[in-house]
Amino acid sequence: MKIVTLPRLMLVLAIVLAAIYLFPLYWMYVTSLKGQSEIFANPPTFWPRDPDFSIFPETWERRHVGMFLGNSLVIGTGVTALTVLLGTGCAYVLARYRSAWIDVGLFTILMLQVLPASVMITPLYVGFNQLGLLNYPRTAVVLAASAKAIPFYIVLVRATFMNVPRELEEAALVDGNSRWGAFFFVVLPLARNGVLVLAILTFMQAFGEYIYSKSIITTQAYQPASVGLSGFLGPNSTDWNGIMAYAAMYVTPIVAIFVILQRRIVAGLTSGALK
Amino acid sequence: MTVQIEMRNIEKHYGAFHALKNVDLDIEKGSFVALVGPSGCGKSTLLRSIAGLESITSGTLKIAGEPMQGVPPRKRDVAMVFQSYALYPHMTVEQNLTYSLRWKKVPKEERSKRAREVAETIGLTELLGRYPRELSGGQRQRVAMGRAIIRSPKAFLFDEPLSNLDASLRVQMRKEVRALHDRLGATSVYVTHDQIEAMTMADFVVVMRGGVIEQRGRPLELYDQPANKFVGGFIGSPAMNFVAAKGADDGHSIVLDGFGQETLDVGRKVEAGRPLIAGLRPEHLRIADGGTGFHLQVGTVEQTGSTTYLVNGPGDFTMVQNERTDVKEGDSVALSIDPKQVHLFDAETELRV
Repeated sequence: MKIVTLPRLMLVLAIVLAAIYLFPLYWMYVTSLKGQSEIFANPPTFWPRDPDFSIFPETWERRHVGMFLGNSLVIGTGVTALTVLLGTGCAYVLARYRSAWIDVGLFTILMLQVLPASVMITPLYVGFNQLGLLNYPRTAVVLAASAKAIPFYIVLVRATFMNVPRELEEAALVDGNSRWGAFFFVVLPLARNGVLVLAILTFMQAFGEYIYSKSIITTQAYQPASVGLSGFLGPNSTDWNGIMAYAAMYVTPIVAIFVILQRRIVAGLTSGALK
Repeated sequence: MTVQIEMRNIEKHYGAFHALKNVDLDIEKGSFVALVGPSGCGKSTLLRSIAGLESITSGTLKIAGEPMQGVPPRKRDVAMVFQSYALYPHMTVEQNLTYSLRWKKVPKEERSKRAREVAETIGLTELLGRYPRELSGGQRQRVAMGRAIIRSPKAFLFDEPLSNLDASLRVQMRKEVRALHDRLGATSVYVTHDQIEAMTMADFVVVMRGGVIEQRGRPLELYDQPANKFVGGFIGSPAMNFVAAKGADDGHSIVLDGFGQETLDVGRKVEAGRPLIAGLRPEHLRIADGGTGFHLQVGTVEQTGSTTYLVNGPGDFTMVQNERTDVKEGDSVALSIDPKQVHLFDAETELRV
């Protein structure tokens, strides 16, 4: 009996934990549809009595959600492009050569990952100021956030490249490819899944980037959605359904991407773990 | 005969490790040469150096008369078959076969025509549209061969291509590879650690150890006249028995260690008292009817039906009998040794005497 029930118990436990973890997401959607008085009703209602969808277009207009999301998109795309462009080649080299210096390099890269953004921002701000980069605030954020994202990207994409057998590359070299050709036509197509997944994760992370944007971008017109959201919160803020509607519009695209690609992402993250 | 691959004084260092030591080797056009040796002997390094996948530290390598110093693999016009087959997993069989032609700018129709011809040669016609993961081990092996054949290269390089196949398929592929070589009139260099493969397939066998070529020659030459103790022990299965020996006083006999004072007349001049190593192949030893001076204590007896293996006596001594015997463990048998089949090596240099 015990043997049969234990997996089932674990499944129930997993569902309960997932429900607790996802509850805020549900609460966000539900609250955005409630009226002002219903939000503070006690006991709370788990389904809005009178769902009001007009909050979405209204908040979109009033809070410039389109502009903020546009900036988030620019930053997310910029960070992803820079990370993939620089990180892929770096990860490949680190995967193909074995030496003490490579280990030192990897260690250094991992150390970069350890430093929190809130510690890095002051020296970065000073440096960017000296270089005049603060006049191009979104570019500055893209640079800073890429520096943060690349170590993580390199370490994981390197693992993907290490799963591509070296002999395939050698076969391509003998078959008439240069090293570049072998990389682009044999190695990269085989590492495609890993690169794609890491690119998506990088994008999602950069899409929600907050600390660098908050510190570097002072002009509201260039701020991303994460900073825009914090503009709601003041000591006397009462616009709860507006905040929730804004948050819903912000996260729904990310959640949608994840749901659509979830199978691929999970497969990409576990590939290599199992042969 | 023209020389297709010429190697002169080739040296290869990996940091402090000396992988190839002064390798000199000519491979004639149209010949099938096997490189054999225990793992780490440098045979794969030599093959990869020919392909250009490894650089050589010094020495000259010429393919079809052209020096290969600094020439990348793609410009050497050699084809290689890898141990793991190294088929491109994201391409169909046809794309795998024609991959090299893509880079030679062969037009598409010509490419698929050649792919069909090659597929016919190696019996893969129905599989052209499949992916490597949908093929069996033997089929993958054939695709790897086909990918080499389609190029009509200056030389075929094989890096232990049969070692991932099961035993019966390996025997069959041995014949097919050799037949293919003959049909194409190709030049082949074949690396293997399996001396049976080398002996049965090759025109010439090159035995290597520790980065040095120990001996090269036709398969039977290596078997009949091993240049040193290592080659004697490496070629032949089960391995040759080695017994310490000494030249007897009469100048043409030897005394075998562990077999009493009995002398064996080897019919050659042997300096009296000279320390030697006698090499006795297990298959050249017979159980004598009458008593000889050589007695062997039998340890284990292994019957396979056609042959009987007797093991033990002094120092894991092995005998192979082609007929059944009723000798049992613990018996003492008299040995008859054919003096013509005794190999003598110097105890110091281990070179053939």
